[in-house]
Amino acid sequence: MAVLEVRNLRKSFGSVRAVEDISFTVEAGEVFTIIGPNGAGKTTTLEMIEGLTVPDGGKIAFGDRSWEQHANAIKMKIGVQPQSSALFDLLSPEENLELFSSFYSQARPVEEVLEMINLTDHRNKHVKSLSGGQRQRLAIGLAMINDPDIIFLDEPTTGLDPQARRNIWDIILRLKELGKTTILTTHYMEEAEKLSDRVCIVDQGKVVTLDTPSALIERLTKEREIRLTFIDEEEAAADAERFAQEQPSVVRTEREGTALQLWSVQPEDTLFALFGFTKERNYRVEQVSIREMSLEDVFIAFTGKEWRD
Amino acid sequence: MSHTRQQFAKMLTTHLKMTMREKQAWFWGIFFPVILMVLFMLIFSGSSDSTFSAEVAIVEEQPNAASQAMLQQLQQISALELKSDEPVTREQADTWVKEKEIAAAIILPEAESASALQLIVNKENEQGVATQAIVGILDKLVQQANLTAAGAVPTYELRLESVSSGNEDLEYKDFLLTGMIALAIAQGGLFGMVDMVEMRRKGLLKRLRMTPAKMSLFGLSDMTMRMLFGLVQIVILSLIGVLGFGATLHLYLPSLILVFLVGALSFNAMGYLFSSFSKTTEAYMGMANIASFMMMFLSGIFFPVETMPEWLQPVALVLPLTYFVDNLRESMVYATGLGSASLWSGLGILALWGAAAFLLGSRLYKAKSIAAAR
Repeated sequence: MAVLEVRNLRKSFGSVRAVEDISFTVEAGEVFTIIGPNGAGKTTTLEMIEGLTVPDGGKIAFGDRSWEQHANAIKMKIGVQPQSSALFDLLSPEENLELFSSFYSQARPVEEVLEMINLTDHRNKHVKSLSGGQRQRLAIGLAMINDPDIIFLDEPTTGLDPQARRNIWDIILRLKELGKTTILTTHYMEEAEKLSDRVCIVDQGKVVTLDTPSALIERLTKEREIRLTFIDEEEAAADAERFAQEQPSVVRTEREGTALQLWSVQPEDTLFALFGFTKERNYRVEQVSIREMSLEDVFIAFTGKEWRD
Repeated sequence: MSHTRQQFAKMLTTHLKMTMREKQAWFWGIFFPVILMVLFMLIFSGSSDSTFSAEVAIVEEQPNAASQAMLQQLQQISALELKSDEPVTREQADTWVKEKEIAAAIILPEAESASALQLIVNKENEQGVATQAIVGILDKLVQQANLTAAGAVPTYELRLESVSSGNEDLEYKDFLLTGMIALAIAQGGLFGMVDMVEMRRKGLLKRLRMTPAKMSLFGLSDMTMRMLFGLVQIVILSLIGVLGFGATLHLYLPSLILVFLVGALSFNAMGYLFSSFSKTTEAYMGMANIASFMMMFLSGIFFPVETMPEWLQPVALVLPLTYFVDNLRESMVYATGLGSASLWSGLGILALWGAAAFLLGSRLYKAKSIAAAR
């Protein structure tokens, strides 16, 4: 069942076309991740869906509800954690949650939310004395105080250390267990790959591609990059390169000193033949690796842009 | 709508907690006005209790009947304090004048026929208040002497009586106390809206718009808190003024409440206007400082507007603080009732300022934030 449908969304700011044409459907209970380079239109798209920005054209529907007619009803059932964690610094986490709780006709008990975001021990500290990760968790807590059906998390882990990021992943996975729908944006490919049911890549205001992470990786060419380093002199590497070039599975090679790089459509076959050759010649191989294809390659392939972390 | 009431109560306690925890609010809202008032009280109100007096010396080089008579009269004038009970030499008097030990030396006539009464003052003090007063006193003395000499009886007599619209004279400490209260409330409004800039900068305003919270309710709770804070300011400053410095207040509560409400709202509206076009707190504070400083000295907070140069006085007639402080004095010192026309015209001008600032501010907010209507 689709909980959110976005069709042909458009938005310009003056002469800048921030969002040209974005359409997608989010299913109940999934983690739906939007990734894209800076300035791709992610935040504008999210703000239109969250009701902060009025689109120039297109349609946004939460089931059978629309912003034009059911603004209050939609606000009651969504939760938003904006990119800048907007919190009342002079209040404690508990007081922040209590205040937001008063905005909704139905709210989850503050106690329960504190538990979920693991801030029970810091409930009475002033927010300004919390760490970045704790603040971010509180921002997520505020987004879930009304027990929303759909929760929007805009770069929840940006700028956090690995442990703090993992804590936030746990919260997202917990929300998924509870059957909530999460719409996520992130700068970390690893995160998108690990958490998302589906990934939507956006560039220049348009949806470039949309699928499950594994399907997206599958869709890329089957070429794999293999790296080998030889202990002996350069001649061994040069010899191996010549041998590799004769293999039908090898598409291209590159060599720098004793380090050899080759791209193969059947990496297992290539390696098997190559090791037979090196054993026969008594060349000693120091390191060997096959680079795993990741969402990052998908991203680069689709947008032509390097991913910056 | 019990949910609305609950929401309002929660918002109000939130604002109260935040204000209580904001050290800046206490410093600028309470501590600073108190210090300022105490300083001004100590510096300026000391002399207002005692009546005028000046220290003089009398030189009588050749005692004669005329000089004796004058000496007697001079000794009876309480405003003139004699440096030495007995007349001194001319040289001694000159030295005292030069060293400013005395305000003036009076030289009595040297002979019965010589009718000149001489006054010696320091050049620096020639235009001073004391000199003017002494000249006035002596002038009167000489006139009387002339009249007596001519055998006439004075027909006219001048009696001075100070008049103010209330039941008692406005003393400087009352003037200053009410001025400080007006200033504190005005500054609370002008500076207080820095919260809005902070909330916008941190994305809190946006965040609240994503919730079903009623922004009007949030604003109302904020204003309620500011009003309560204003009351605390009034009470604390009044207590210090009355108990610490003996200021006398004659309150008329209906007027006071009305003036306070209109004034506080207007100055908050001005702060709101500043916040609508300030991207940073620094920009906001700059604006608020300019407005506050200009008004502080031009609106009759520390000194009456009438003491300002003539050409500057029309400026005071434009500034809202002039009307606020005037009306506050009316309702706190003169106990002016609601029937006063000047009270209402002052309130009208204040309200006009407030309404204009608010309308302009909310237009700017709308123009700048996208989809603010939702």
